[in-house]
Amino acid sequence: MNIKIKQLKFNYPNFSLEISDLSLTEGRVTTIVGPNGAGKTTLLKCLSGLLTIPPGSVFINGSDLTTLKGGQRAQLISYVPQEMTSIFNYKVLDFVLMGRAAYLPLFSPPGEKDQQLAREALTYIGLNNYAQRSLFELSSGERRLVLIARALAQQAQILFLDEPTTFLDPKNEIEILQLIKKLSLEMKKTIVLTLHNLEVAAAYSERLVFLKKGRVIAWGEPAEIMTESLLAKIYDVSFKIIDWQGHKFLLKGHQE
Amino acid sequence: MKSKFISSQRLTWIMLLLPFGLLLFSLGLGPYPLSPSDVIKTLLSPFISAINVPEAFSVIIFRIRLPRLCLAFLVGAALSVSGASLQALFKNPLINEYILGLSSGAAFGAALSLVFLGQNFPPQLAAFILAVVAVGGVLLIAGHSETHLITLILTGVIMTAFFSALLSLVEYFASPYALQSLFFWLMGNLSLATWKDIILAGPLMTFGIIVLLLLRWRLNVLSLSDDQVKALGINLRLEKILVILAATLATAAATSVVGIIGWVGLIVPHLVRMMVGPDNRLVIPLSATVGASFLILADDLTRNLASFEIPIGILTSLIGIPLFIVLLKKTQRVWL
Amino acid sequence: MVNRPKKFYLMMSLLLLEICLFSLPSFSIQKSKHPFKIRDNLQREVVLPHQIKRILSLQPEITRILIALGQEKKLIGIDYFIHRYDHLYPLLKPRLRDLPLVSLSSESINWELLLRLKPDLIFTSPSETHLASSLQKKTGIPTLVLSSQGRLTSLLEEIKLIGQWVNQEKRAAYLCGFFQDKIKMVVSTLARTAPLQKPRVYLAFWSSLTRTPVDYEPVKVAGGINLAEELLPEDLGTVGTVVSVEKILAWNPDIILLHGNYLPEERKITPALVFQDKRLSAIRAVKNKQVYYTFGFWYWWDPAQVLVEIMYLAKIFHPEIFTRIDLEKEGNQVYQIFYSLPHGFTYLQQRLKWENGWSK
Repeated sequence: MNIKIKQLKFNYPNFSLEISDLSLTEGRVTTIVGPNGAGKTTLLKCLSGLLTIPPGSVFINGSDLTTLKGGQRAQLISYVPQEMTSIFNYKVLDFVLMGRAAYLPLFSPPGEKDQQLAREALTYIGLNNYAQRSLFELSSGERRLVLIARALAQQAQILFLDEPTTFLDPKNEIEILQLIKKLSLEMKKTIVLTLHNLEVAAAYSERLVFLKKGRVIAWGEPAEIMTESLLAKIYDVSFKIIDWQGHKFLLKGHQE
Repeated sequence: MKSKFISSQRLTWIMLLLPFGLLLFSLGLGPYPLSPSDVIKTLLSPFISAINVPEAFSVIIFRIRLPRLCLAFLVGAALSVSGASLQALFKNPLINEYILGLSSGAAFGAALSLVFLGQNFPPQLAAFILAVVAVGGVLLIAGHSETHLITLILTGVIMTAFFSALLSLVEYFASPYALQSLFFWLMGNLSLATWKDIILAGPLMTFGIIVLLLLRWRLNVLSLSDDQVKALGINLRLEKILVILAATLATAAATSVVGIIGWVGLIVPHLVRMMVGPDNRLVIPLSATVGASFLILADDLTRNLASFEIPIGILTSLIGIPLFIVLLKKTQRVWL
Repeated sequence: MVNRPKKFYLMMSLLLLEICLFSLPSFSIQKSKHPFKIRDNLQREVVLPHQIKRILSLQPEITRILIALGQEKKLIGIDYFIHRYDHLYPLLKPRLRDLPLVSLSSESINWELLLRLKPDLIFTSPSETHLASSLQKKTGIPTLVLSSQGRLTSLLEEIKLIGQWVNQEKRAAYLCGFFQDKIKMVVSTLARTAPLQKPRVYLAFWSSLTRTPVDYEPVKVAGGINLAEELLPEDLGTVGTVVSVEKILAWNPDIILLHGNYLPEERKITPALVFQDKRLSAIRAVKNKQVYYTFGFWYWWDPAQVLVEIMYLAKIFHPEIFTRIDLEKEGNQVYQIFYSLPHGFTYLQQRLKWENGWSK
């Protein structure tokens, strides 16, 4: 599934997001990077329909996002928030099951088929033993995985993930990113995420979008566009890129 | 692991069937002496013409105890289900069914009727109308700030304060006799229950309860943060209004016929969650039956504890709160 | 767990008994050594002024007694009850109509007006527990809590006591004598009839079917049995309690009396409603159409009204014995003697419009 952005505008009192033209294509992992306050999360929320955007600015496979009803939209797009916030301590399986909401009429609870899909989603992320555990028992890495499982139960081809690795240790970070990669390869999902770690962003994404103050500064394949001068321009701090066996390492605040 | 599952399933069944058993049992309790066989005979008498019972027996069973117990059943279920649903909707376990100004609106309505309007405008109707007006006013004032639940709750608090002030104003002009009737009403009581109350308020309570029962799983989803609810494809505004509407109708109907019975909608859902966890697919139906049982029990006590009728609103607080504290201490874990 | 409810019940009833004992010693005005020192209904010690010229009575019973003693010129203000719920007030004495209104039902007082009226003595009712002490503390004016608390002997003592204070001992003694004679007439007539069948009576008071007084002397004097007498009052200093409909069925009263001292448009419970109520259909009183209005409590007692009430109830309870009592004549006489109102009773009949009429 393809996402096309044309003249997207969104305003907060002291901030505006303006993207004139950007397309995100099927089966690719696209990572939005940029400094704090660049509008990364706002962009994701605009694309997933959580914020109200003007009609005719975002198209999913050619159809205008704003014309889709909530349920239709959720069957195409799933949005994975940075943290799971639930006041109530649901069981993991019950939580994943909530991904089925878009497919169920108002008054019907999920049936056997939905249960099955939720279990499969848990198995896919490797937490099949966790079905009967409670949310509050999970580590933060497990919580991120469960959120992704819920997105899988939602069976949407487009996946938006808001900082899925923030606050995770390196092992968990890599596990999540490998899972994301696997989703794009095996399930041909269109994946857009935001990250702060530029090195892993470069390593795990096919496309990078550099955002600053609500504007796209550059976008393209990581190897092509990630230059020292661009990074310095975006982050207002000097960078040194070290290439080692195809991996890029960054030295921040480097003085020549 | 398996045996535990079975026992928790058995517990669920017990809780589901409890109020029906209690209702039958309670038919035998009351100041008019009736033996269990009298009760059974009286219950069968309309169907089997061979059984003859004194007129007083059938009046006691069919016109006094049965409507009263049915009302306790419905009101207990309505208040608890509304409380549980609003707690999920507002993502806040401290919410009760009166949060959006309902109780003070109802109290003001009843006061208006008892003090000024007289027989032509019964307190039940006035209480119901003003309860709905209070909640409607809250929704209207909070308006488009739909994503800000705090705004809604705060508006509810303000509405409550406003109607309390109006209530005080009416009390100021009330005669002592009207005041007595009013306090009697405010404390909540089932002693005057008739089939008419059930015919008037029953359908609304049942409607509210059924809608919320049907939405039970949806309430799980609605209890997540608003962003997640929207991302999962739910029309948040519509469903929020639907839940509030159903809970308001059920609670306002209940309050209009029995007055303000406190704590049921807060305590019962928590009791249920302590026993079966937070999944609303279980919490909502069990809140209905445990709430019904709770109120039937409380009513049994009001009828049999003393020579006079203790207002049930006092008893629900007196029983509910210590029970809650005991369970809180025993559970010693997060149950929400 | 099994024992707990019993224990709780026991504790509860002990507690209630205490309350009951505390509240029932009806009239406890004792004159202490100092002639002007008095212990009132709330056990407060009050020093009376040497001269009582300006009286503010916020206690309608006292207001009525003062009028009956011919002392209406000493009254300087009225309370909300007289102002709004007293049906005879417009007729009583021309002077009374211009008196300013000093209190509202929520125990609130127009303080500045009260001070401007400069009373020497204020009367309040024990049902307003804190009013007297706050009045006395704030104004320094002696404030006396005084009431019959619904007892006839206390009412007579009260009349005599107030008679002494306002130098109307003779008039007080005359009124008490008249009162006692009438009662003696009823009581002795009943005593002559043996065996006396006393009807068992349920009283629905204060605009509610289920609120009932545990103590209502007129029923006893008129030769009936108040079924709720076995119960305890629900609140300190009151005589009311709340019962269930079922309890009324269990009692199965011969006669039901409804508090009828409200204007027709204010009445919440009427004989017609009682007859319509299917829950009550099995009760003897309903089957035999023995449901009547009664004056009931006024604000404690109007001394004239309670006397008429006793004769009225006697006629309802024992119609075959009291055939010779002409209630209208007797009633008008009572109002004439107490308030010099020639047609007080007839007027009340017209105002209250009891649809089942005054006993035939």
